[in-house]
Amino acid sequence: MKAATCRHALFLAAALAVALGGCKGAQDGAETRPVAAGDTGGSLKGDFGPPQGKPVEAVLTSPPHVPPPTGRHAPAKVIVELDVVEKEMEISEGTTYTFWTFGGTVPGSFIRVRQGDTVQFHLRNMPDSKMPHNIDLHGVTGPGGGASSTFTAPGHVTRFTFKALNAGLFVYHCATAPVGMHIANGMYGLILVEPPDGLPPVDKEYYVMQGDFYTSGKYREKGHQDFDMQKGIDENPTYVLFNGREGALTGDKALTAKTGETVRLYVGNGGPNLVSSFHVIGEIFDKVWFEGGTRFQENVQTTLIPSGGAAIMDFHVEVPGSYVLVDHSIFRAFNKGALAILKADGAERPDIYSGKEVDAMYIGDQANANLAAVGVAAKAASTGELTVEDQVKAGQALFAGTCSTCHQANGEGLPGVFPPLAKSDYIAADPKRVATIITHGLQGPVTVNGHDYNSLMPPMAQLTDDEVANIATYVLNSWGNPGGHVTKAEAAEIRKGPGISTGGSAEGH
Amino acid sequence: MRHIAALLLALPAAAALAAGGAAWVKLPGGAFRSALKYEDASELQIAPFELQKRPVTNAEFLAFVQANPQWRRDRVASVLAEPRYLSQWAGPTTLGDAAQPQQPVVQVSWFAASAYCEAQGARLPTWSEWEYAAAADETRRDARSDPAWRERILAWYSRPSNKALPRAGLQAPNAWGVQDMHGLVWEWTDDFSSLLVSGDNRMQGDADRLKFCGAGALSMDDRENYAVLMRVAMLSSLEARDTTANLGFRCARDVK
Amino acid sequence: MKTFRNVLFGLPAALLLLAFAAVAAPAQAPLPRDSVYQLPAVLTDQHGKAWDWRSKRGTPQVVAMFYTSCRYVCPLIVDSGKAVEHALGPEERAKLGILLISMDPARDDPRALMQVASKRNLDAAHWSLASPPADSVRSVAGVLGVRYRQLADGEFNHTSALVLLDREGRIVARTEQVGTRLDPEFVAQVRQVLRAP
Repeated sequence: MKAATCRHALFLAAALAVALGGCKGAQDGAETRPVAAGDTGGSLKGDFGPPQGKPVEAVLTSPPHVPPPTGRHAPAKVIVELDVVEKEMEISEGTTYTFWTFGGTVPGSFIRVRQGDTVQFHLRNMPDSKMPHNIDLHGVTGPGGGASSTFTAPGHVTRFTFKALNAGLFVYHCATAPVGMHIANGMYGLILVEPPDGLPPVDKEYYVMQGDFYTSGKYREKGHQDFDMQKGIDENPTYVLFNGREGALTGDKALTAKTGETVRLYVGNGGPNLVSSFHVIGEIFDKVWFEGGTRFQENVQTTLIPSGGAAIMDFHVEVPGSYVLVDHSIFRAFNKGALAILKADGAERPDIYSGKEVDAMYIGDQANANLAAVGVAAKAASTGELTVEDQVKAGQALFAGTCSTCHQANGEGLPGVFPPLAKSDYIAADPKRVATIITHGLQGPVTVNGHDYNSLMPPMAQLTDDEVANIATYVLNSWGNPGGHVTKAEAAEIRKGPGISTGGSAEGH
Repeated sequence: MRHIAALLLALPAAAALAAGGAAWVKLPGGAFRSALKYEDASELQIAPFELQKRPVTNAEFLAFVQANPQWRRDRVASVLAEPRYLSQWAGPTTLGDAAQPQQPVVQVSWFAASAYCEAQGARLPTWSEWEYAAAADETRRDARSDPAWRERILAWYSRPSNKALPRAGLQAPNAWGVQDMHGLVWEWTDDFSSLLVSGDNRMQGDADRLKFCGAGALSMDDRENYAVLMRVAMLSSLEARDTTANLGFRCARDVK
Repeated sequence: MKTFRNVLFGLPAALLLLAFAAVAAPAQAPLPRDSVYQLPAVLTDQHGKAWDWRSKRGTPQVVAMFYTSCRYVCPLIVDSGKAVEHALGPEERAKLGILLISMDPARDDPRALMQVASKRNLDAAHWSLASPPADSVRSVAGVLGVRYRQLADGEFNHTSALVLLDREGRIVARTEQVGTRLDPEFVAQVRQVLRAP
């Protein structure tokens, strides 16, 4: 199952990289393939012949660690044994979820082989699993990426063999129906097929994989959470996480590096739905092998990682501090958990980053609040005679200071919760209602402009008669309401009189 | 209550202060879950306390300055208040037209606010006390999970700060009887400097344990509670001598 | 919280006597408005003596806040103070005071403060370790720009800074770099302040 998102943007980027990166290959060091104007030949040129030497047991690592470079120069037979384990783990503090995993972790174990290797793949499904599982490795050339050959019942092991014809960083995932659910439960990981000369050496390599999770409960709702299929179909995740757990790579578990080191991140996106806008706050990717392919772009701030895709990025660390890995679709980072930390230790570099140098006062242009408005506000409390115009102006300031919080500045209210005041048939039927409701409140069912409301408005006992009169006058003369005015004396009378009975009490909201 | 309110408006500013400031409301305290993630406690115990019904006004603060001239803006030590202290007043002991007596006093530093409360035999509320009292809406003691309530608070934040402030006590009291916890001014708390957050508020789950001597920055537990999040961000950006045009305060006191 | 009004307009005579008897009379010129000593604070040091910190006026000070049972950064704060001393020549050292103020007066009584002073071999001629009254800690931290939070178990989370005060108590430099490796700019500022008449 290959992803097909954002091809246009990435074609452009690829063309750019060929243009920009074409001549830079030679500078990378002896082990990098020169990225010249041609291509590497793809799968047609990727078969280096039969495996040589003794079979090799693949070193598999749990995230965030990466196996060491293979160091091979000839194709080998590599044995990979990967377990499928269904287990309940914490997805967030105090919240558990039943994950389906490769190797007991989300993401699953990192597999590292070399282009041309013949991989003998064993998939073992634990006996206590509830479901059958299989595996589709995006680095496999062959039907289903291996899925059709690895459909494994609980308590069984299946095996198939493939030759890794294409170099790159590839996603693997379970492809058993319903595929979306298997992936959403954490069944994905990465397999790196090294180019024949390997990747340029770096000081630290880390494995990070983003995934979206769909639970019936809300974000951080405690207790055990179930998978919610409808949310998955609606592509409305509860969590968007790096390495399967909120805080998997923060605090004590943050990634580490030292200044002066070059760090490489192998970043996958298992999906099942979302594309990642991957960014490290405070760093720039010196090199990005976008989409985990052969060519790299340089000097990238944020790179797109398709769902079911991956990318490799290198960056050199100069300044110590905490660098935050995020999906820059930023609400996912802070409201759904897509946040990880790389902590870099080392000597400060004030020549590169000074920290806060100045925090001083800034006067601005000294413009105080509009004095006219203040004068109006003062009049709002005065006991003198006001024209209707003055009352409306005063009432508007008062309305903004308290009524607008529920009824909105434009009088539209909140659908289903707070009734509108704008062009209100309820007010038009009896304009006296405005002052009455301000002073006595209102609760129970009302119908305004064809919609039903059943809330509670408390009596505004804290308002003076002047204020009630001014607010009521403002409301009556705004937004298509019938007009008129309320004097201070009338407000006082209405306050003494009865309120409005709706015959019910509030449902609450 | 409204009779007193009407009277206060009619009286000259100085006399209005004679009552010693706003009325007090008693809050019972109890178990309270903060929107902040504290590493040492998941639930707080708030002792019963009293809180002023509304923020301190220009008139009340003026009376304090007149009785305590070392807090005049032309005499105050600059370590205790920055140059904009009480700059909205016409003079050191005159309010003028731009500062109505019943508006909440702003452009006050934490030192000045603390001194005022002390002079009333009171203190500033703690952040937890503030958060607890502010969790209520008009009818419920804890309205925080209601998206409509959160929307109301966000709407205040989206209005720019260049309009004149309404008078203190204009809004309906909340379920505790306290007014203006939202929608009027930011308010100082006694322990505002305990809100240890990174200057970059994105540092959630910060790995730097040396930054605050054994702890990373505070993070939010309830990410949807923007009301609290923004207040924390605001207070954590301030030094004790700072003042701003929309930062005031009210006092609290222990229950005897 | 220290009562500002009381201290300035009705300080009990006994306390006043104690404050001024303990040290030489301060300079006669009025205290500058930007001096931290404008905040009244009576500290009790490792010798059990109580004095208003205003009595430090006349000697430049390197000030920091700490608490004795702190395990993470506070030992580094003491290291910083020693590093400043080592960076100076003997005449310079003689003119500088190092003042460590505790944010935990409940537990940092004179005995606890003296324990730190002896264990770290701090020269009593120049080092003062002292605790303010419990209700003054917040204000002292406020003028020094230190933020702290007390945890349920009595530990503190806090920011760490070295603050350089001139003879009049004005803040002239601060550094957040604590430990044996000093911020060279901060040391340069210390030297400059000691050179001034």
